[in-house]
Amino acid sequence: MIDLIHVTKRFGATTAVDDISLSVAQGELCVLVGTSGCGKSTTLRMINRLIEHSDGEIHIDGQQIRAFREETLRRRMGYAIQSTGLFPHWTVARNIGLVPRLLKWPQARIRERVEELMTLLGLPVSEFADKYPRQLSGGQAQRVGVARALAADPDILLMDEPFGALDPITRETLQEELRALQGRLHKTIVFVTHDMDEALRLADRLVVMDQGRIKQQGHPLELLREPADAFVESLLGGEDRGLKEAALLPVSERMLPLSPRLLARERVAHDASLREALSIMLWRHAERLTVVDDEDLPIGELSLRRLVGAKAHE
Amino acid sequence: MPEETPRPNIVLWSLLLAALPAWLGLDAVSVAPNRIVPGSGHSAAEVAGLPGLVASLVPALAVLWLAWRPTRERLRLALGLVVAMLAALPAWLALAAAELVDPALPQARMGIGGGVWVGLFLLLLALIELRTRLTLSRPLGWALLLVPLASLALCLSLWLEPLALRREYAGRSQQFLAAIGEHLLLVGSAVGLSLVIGVGLALAMRRWPRARELGFAVLNFLQTIPSLALFGLLLAPLAWLSARVDWLAALGVSGIGWAPALLALVGYSLLPMVRNTYVALEEVDPGVVDAARGMGMSRGQVFRQVRLPLALPVILEGIRITSVQAIGLTAVAALIGAGGLGTFIFQGLGQAAMDLVLLGALPILVMALAADALLGALTDLLRPGGAT
Repeated sequence: MIDLIHVTKRFGATTAVDDISLSVAQGELCVLVGTSGCGKSTTLRMINRLIEHSDGEIHIDGQQIRAFREETLRRRMGYAIQSTGLFPHWTVARNIGLVPRLLKWPQARIRERVEELMTLLGLPVSEFADKYPRQLSGGQAQRVGVARALAADPDILLMDEPFGALDPITRETLQEELRALQGRLHKTIVFVTHDMDEALRLADRLVVMDQGRIKQQGHPLELLREPADAFVESLLGGEDRGLKEAALLPVSERMLPLSPRLLARERVAHDASLREALSIMLWRHAERLTVVDDEDLPIGELSLRRLVGAKAHE
Repeated sequence: MPEETPRPNIVLWSLLLAALPAWLGLDAVSVAPNRIVPGSGHSAAEVAGLPGLVASLVPALAVLWLAWRPTRERLRLALGLVVAMLAALPAWLALAAAELVDPALPQARMGIGGGVWVGLFLLLLALIELRTRLTLSRPLGWALLLVPLASLALCLSLWLEPLALRREYAGRSQQFLAAIGEHLLLVGSAVGLSLVIGVGLALAMRRWPRARELGFAVLNFLQTIPSLALFGLLLAPLAWLSARVDWLAALGVSGIGWAPALLALVGYSLLPMVRNTYVALEEVDPGVVDAARGMGMSRGQVFRQVRLPLALPVILEGIRITSVQAIGLTAVAALIGAGGLGTFIFQGLGQAAMDLVLLGALPILVMALAADALLGALTDLLRPGGAT
């Protein structure tokens, strides 16, 4: 649990972060989003004291961060950044074991933990443990970065545009993996990005920042449905908001039970997004889709009218 | 043939086409009855006669033929031929000595002429070219040189007694070893001292950015003073100091000798050392340092485990430049009585005995090349991520 209470950061005469208050609950994935220079990275880096805040208070689990030694504080938090920051002169295994080694874990436990994490992140131990960072692709390097951040099993993860330098396909894969990972690990995550699609896809709580201030925060759907002002609205994609919202809602939310009518020929998975369903309709010129479960068995149907949110019965 | 026919190797052609006229036209050796009179030159043809000359041309022409269509196998063959030619050169000199030097004259000597020097130089260049083309590893490249070196050592000990260079050495073998010792000691202490001072200065410059500009200005200025002038400039203040401070005088500090030489050498060594160390530490990827700190490494841990190991190859590069430069400069220090191999060079110049100059200059060349190669290999070894 992280609390920022009226936090301000000034660099000389300029104010980078201006009196923000923010509370991230245990197990919540909080995404700070905004244009570059809006203060989102500064905010993140104040939490692990890579930057010291000028005013206000920052607490983790109810304790002021200044009560800890800097190093002790940081070893309690995972940290992943865009450039991965992997040590080029260390092997993958040694990179991942960094924080456990700083915490003086016994060798055997470090090795065990490193292998566990490599498996968790889809990096076969025999293939990757002894490789050096420059022998990895961008996506692999970033997986190692995330594994390293998770190494000492911290409650808190700080991620500064970790997927920013990756190609769109790799980025999307890693976003999905992070969501799946978060579903199992329930870390408290603060994630900084300037990519709104990434923010919407990942966030439990979305925080829009501009010029050092928080413009609006809440669940992504709340922001999409009721943007506080024109800036938030334009950042969320303006006219595109409908599609972005549809991307966040699963088909199961709008489907109706199977009717006695003939099954529609085109199918859609129950956990696909409404946006995917709409795309299938557009592509196949179909007004009705059969919703199927994981075993590909029909469990409901979705009409275009339902999809767009018209009232159930006319 | 599966691979495309490669284009002729221009480098090998140019090298060999330059070597052939030098070998045929210039004096290969010169022979003198004693140290005083100038020697009379002899061309390669005079030494071995026409059949011998033709025999010596065959491998060179073969390399030309191989370099016309340089596939890998042909280049390997050419490499073998070049190494063989290099190894044959000392034997050929031994043959020339047996042929031309009158054994009845104990002082008679044979000097190495332009033809052999040019041939040697161009063959070494050809060896480097072939090593690069065949992408041989550095150690293998050096191992190849062992064959000609072994041949040289063998011929020197058995048959090349009349070689002028060896005659000069024979008269000074004790001095020669002492000079090499002095030379290495001066270079070693200058590089060692400038490493300690240089790293200290670089660290200070990182901490106080304002000291940086002043520091580099002073070091740049030092570098612009000609070495002879610097030795001269140090003479008066050091003489003054040793006259007034007893323990300095007891240490052997005076206006001439090792003290001013060492001071000047350290002065010259500081710029490359500080520059490389500073740049190396400064240019470590900021992302890596940010991650290291963000993971909870202390400042000391970041420096020792991240910044320093990543900077080490560039720092070693600085040591390499400094060492090679100091090996050369130390030769000049002989002028102010610091000893070392430069002594032979200046004696030789004074007596117009070129072979004595060579006796001083050749070991300096070898030392510089060896320092370059050793430190270069060490740098490769320490590159981040180990050997690829």
